[in-house]
Amino acid sequence: MNFNKIDRILEKFSMQKSQSISILQDIQNEFSFLPLEVLRYVAKKLGVPFSLVYHLATFYKTFSLKRRGRHLINVCLGTACHIRGGVRILEKTERELNIKSGSTTVDSKFSLEIVRCIGCCSLAPVIRIDGDTHGRLTQEKIPRMLKKYE
Amino acid sequence: MKNIMKMHSINDFKQAIESQIQKRKSEENPVLTVSAGTCGRARGSLKVIKALKNAIKKKKLEDKVKVKVTGCHGFCEAEPNIIIHPHNIFYQKIEPKNAKDIIAQTILNNKIIEQLLYFNPITKEKYIQENDIPFYKHQKRIILGDNALIDPKDVNDYLSIGGYSSLIKVLSKMSSEEVINAVKQSGLRGRGGAGFPTGSKWEFTRKANGNTKFIICNADEGDPGAYMDRSLLEGNPHRVLEGMLIGAYAIGAEEGYIYVRGEYPLAVEHISLAISQAKKLGLLGKSILGTSFNFQIHISKGAGAFVCGEETALITSIEGKVGEPRQRPPFPAVKGLWGKPTNINNVETWANIPVIIEKGADWYSKIGINGSKGTKIFSLVGKINNTGLVEVPIGITLREIIYDIGGGIPAGKNFKAVQTGGPSGGCIPAELLDLQVDYEKLAEAGSIMGSGGMIVMDENTCMVDLAKYFLNFLRDESCGKCLSCREGIQRLWEILTDITEGRATREQLDLVEELARIVKDASMCGLGQTASNPVLSTLRYFRDEYEVHIRDKWCPALVCKRLIPTPCQDTCPVGIDVPSYIGLIARGKFNEAVDLIREDNPFPAICGRVCNHPCELNCKMGEFDKPVAIHSLKRFCADYVFQNEGYKRPSIQGKREERVAVIGSGPAGLTAAYNLAQLGYRTNVFEALPVAGGMLSVGIPAYRLPKEIVKAEIDAICALGVEIKTNTPIGKDLSIDDLKQQGYKAIFIATGAHKSLKLGLPREDGLKGIIDCVAFLKDVNLGNQKKPGDKIVIVGDDYIAVDTARVCRRLGSSEVNIIYKRSKEEMPLDDSEIDQALDEGVKIHFLTIPCKILGKEGKVTGLQCIHTQLGEADIRSRRDLITVEGSEFVIDADIIIRAAGQAPDLAFLDHMFEITQSNLLSIDPCTLQTNVPGVFAGGDAVTGPATVIEAIAAGKKAAASIDSYIRGKKFEGYKRPRPRMRIEPIQLTKEEEELKRPEMPLLSVDKRLQSFEEVELGYTEEMAICEAKRCRRCDLEK
Repeated sequence: MNFNKIDRILEKFSMQKSQSISILQDIQNEFSFLPLEVLRYVAKKLGVPFSLVYHLATFYKTFSLKRRGRHLINVCLGTACHIRGGVRILEKTERELNIKSGSTTVDSKFSLEIVRCIGCCSLAPVIRIDGDTHGRLTQEKIPRMLKKYE
Repeated sequence: MKNIMKMHSINDFKQAIESQIQKRKSEENPVLTVSAGTCGRARGSLKVIKALKNAIKKKKLEDKVKVKVTGCHGFCEAEPNIIIHPHNIFYQKIEPKNAKDIIAQTILNNKIIEQLLYFNPITKEKYIQENDIPFYKHQKRIILGDNALIDPKDVNDYLSIGGYSSLIKVLSKMSSEEVINAVKQSGLRGRGGAGFPTGSKWEFTRKANGNTKFIICNADEGDPGAYMDRSLLEGNPHRVLEGMLIGAYAIGAEEGYIYVRGEYPLAVEHISLAISQAKKLGLLGKSILGTSFNFQIHISKGAGAFVCGEETALITSIEGKVGEPRQRPPFPAVKGLWGKPTNINNVETWANIPVIIEKGADWYSKIGINGSKGTKIFSLVGKINNTGLVEVPIGITLREIIYDIGGGIPAGKNFKAVQTGGPSGGCIPAELLDLQVDYEKLAEAGSIMGSGGMIVMDENTCMVDLAKYFLNFLRDESCGKCLSCREGIQRLWEILTDITEGRATREQLDLVEELARIVKDASMCGLGQTASNPVLSTLRYFRDEYEVHIRDKWCPALVCKRLIPTPCQDTCPVGIDVPSYIGLIARGKFNEAVDLIREDNPFPAICGRVCNHPCELNCKMGEFDKPVAIHSLKRFCADYVFQNEGYKRPSIQGKREERVAVIGSGPAGLTAAYNLAQLGYRTNVFEALPVAGGMLSVGIPAYRLPKEIVKAEIDAICALGVEIKTNTPIGKDLSIDDLKQQGYKAIFIATGAHKSLKLGLPREDGLKGIIDCVAFLKDVNLGNQKKPGDKIVIVGDDYIAVDTARVCRRLGSSEVNIIYKRSKEEMPLDDSEIDQALDEGVKIHFLTIPCKILGKEGKVTGLQCIHTQLGEADIRSRRDLITVEGSEFVIDADIIIRAAGQAPDLAFLDHMFEITQSNLLSIDPCTLQTNVPGVFAGGDAVTGPATVIEAIAAGKKAAASIDSYIRGKKFEGYKRPRPRMRIEPIQLTKEEEELKRPEMPLLSVDKRLQSFEEVELGYTEEMAICEAKRCRRCDLEK
């Protein structure tokens, strides 16, 4: 594991404990998840117990302790998406990828996660893959939508 | 960024603002403002911007036409949209391909492009200017309105609409106390949820002990379905900064934080840019504009925790800790961030400050109602035509928001409830549509204002499922500190899951109520204290819906999948396995499809033509597009089989000695006979008329249901050994007792409703020329095809009225009028049917009632009518009719036809039978048995005039009940159908995913008027297969 990058991030926030969340956010941007050894390293560097860093990493939904796939699929289950059939979209995506939400495909291509409202309610039901928003989805459109990603 | 210079004094800045204002005023060239918030971008506005810029470049207009990229204009439904200044032309749903035309026609030639204008989906009326569109017209956009004027990335644009003038006013003329007083007098209350008076909150923090104070902007907009704060940060970030600067000045804070949701990358980008621009201008930092006021702002990005919207949790999160709330008091105003006095307001509250300072507290407090001043932004989403952000004066009614601004509910569905306040809020039912929206009234109704999410729900939303949804959300988001919240929500969710999956008991519902109260009372922070609201409010207004789930294992909204696996099959009165037969059609297996349909319904070809198809009303595809044309597909495969091999004879299960008599050979009687014959009973049908089929043969005209189709399907029933004795009325010569003596073990009465009701008008019986529709249609169907008269008036509202009118046109009547008391939308038949009648020259007078029959020399000469209008009533029941005084008019007529309802003619029965007050045959609703043992009844004779499919359902149920009766077993009632087979879905190609429902091919109007040839020609094989592929196959979901 290359800890240089992590040192740079820690320095950016002047090693301040109060910036722990921002530090973890930057690390996650770098690695796409939070490897346990990195969390241990951060705890040591900040001079705080490992349990504290681990608590942060598990409390906030953004953070993932599991390695994510190349593409992150966020299925929106905000209220508007829910009443317009978001659950059916989620289930179809789960069946297509053969995984449950919160996990990653065996080939590490996709990670599937639920998000509570991305504020595109007029497009409900909505899925966001990486930066792209796919709206007005029906189950039929899911397989083709997934095929666009390599 | 290059053209930003640091401002060293208030005067410098004043001049800079003035010069920007002048610059905007002198702008004469057209400006295209393109809405490009997150929502607009998701719908492709960035591509539109690129295309517009290219089109401008091609015409070499770069110096003359400007494209301005703005934040959200609020009208999400119309995204991507553009407003063309200076004429304020509003174009909606722009695609990149439209760019060329917009430049060539509108910009260069001042021509409006009609197709791009917004139009009312119901009236089709088009609107040119933004302000004329109902969605905008009924709003008061003092906060959001600026979004459409400025480029959020350009601080000069904000200055050019007078931005930061309020800051100047404060710094140059007002003391801190004066600012606080102004905010207090304005009556502004917190827009984040609880509605605490903002001015008082500021005062507490100002007066709190300590030199170091903080202010925080809460932009952790976690309520699903609310995104107004994002829209403000994205579209007008400087306004939020200006509000915070004024607040910091008033409170005495030198540092501020914006805690923004990490899921809003564009908002983070724009507010960060705004902060760095403000720093360059000298609006943030030390000695701002040469005064002694110092202030700086940091951004803190949330990491995804709903509870961090709660102020104490948010503060702990900024401190870099786990965002758990803490006990209050001490309130943050006393002990907040890092233990110092802290004032927290949400984005919208901060955005209100500049306008209060600019226009004065008096001006502001004139908006709104007593106790709740100003405007509130709502995100109007869900089952609503005009999805978007709406800003309205507080105190406006829900009806105005949902109908005047929101344009009502899509697809002609009924409004059921609106959910406000997100997971902490509640549901407000249709009965309270006239509720004024303010903090107190919403709380009384069991909901809250919250951050302004307003989720509209129609009849297809299940309230139990919705409450379960919020509980699921909250059990995820509970921080876990309080037991009542952590465990209570979890248990509530489990019970509601049981209810929606058909496992719950009545006692569990009481437990839900008890538990909900405990969670409310025993939790520490706002999340737990309000977590029960969605449950308690749905229980308060929709308790019956919970009870139906528990008692009948039925979800009335057809949402709960465990109870309603396939809405089409579940709503079909006879429970045909719709998805499987559509799956078979998609694979070209038409024979199998017909066999499958005939397991539940012996009349595929008839129902494919005349069924009112309740299945299509609940088709899931209908939520996105037109529902699958289920009845047309049924007709196609039945016709296909007729033209080829013919119907297969179903197998007969065993042979029984008992005989059953069926009286009446309409759909109910024949279906009973069909099912009884399959069970092995020797079944005879007695029919009074010379032909079999009941209304199928003598009621429905041949252009809608050809006689040979009826005959073919009846023949297929006779092939099972059913004997139909026509011209054999039951009554005088052959009584029910006689039948029993002849050895019939059971008798099923299905004689229908063939008697037309009277109009109840004077002279109805005295004049010649008044006839009954049923008798008239029977006469025509039996071969007497004589023109009844030239000028016809038909009084009625149903299929039969329209059928009568169209028959008259075919027989040569020149003027055919229908009088219908209600509006076109309320007419209980398909639009296509009404349109066909209109095409054939039938005139329908909607909202009209007859009041006087006119006659001369013993003959009818006309009908005097009066117009009505629909009065106000609650939205779910039909609206009252009010007659319009002085609107009387006369329609000349030589014949008046009564078609205003039918009743059964039960004179043939002896006095043993119980008859209801509405003159219908009385039966046990479970077994269909009359008070006379062994005699059963069903269909129109029991229900009054109903649909063909309901009659078939009655026949099917009667057969099962009679079978139990003869075997001496207790009849358990009708079992809910389940799919009969599993048909694998077909992988669709890209083109197939975009398939649209094909229009039904029709016979030309000329040909129609000359004969009784069938009007609807049916789908071709190709059309049917394509249409079958549109089915979403709900049956295959687990």
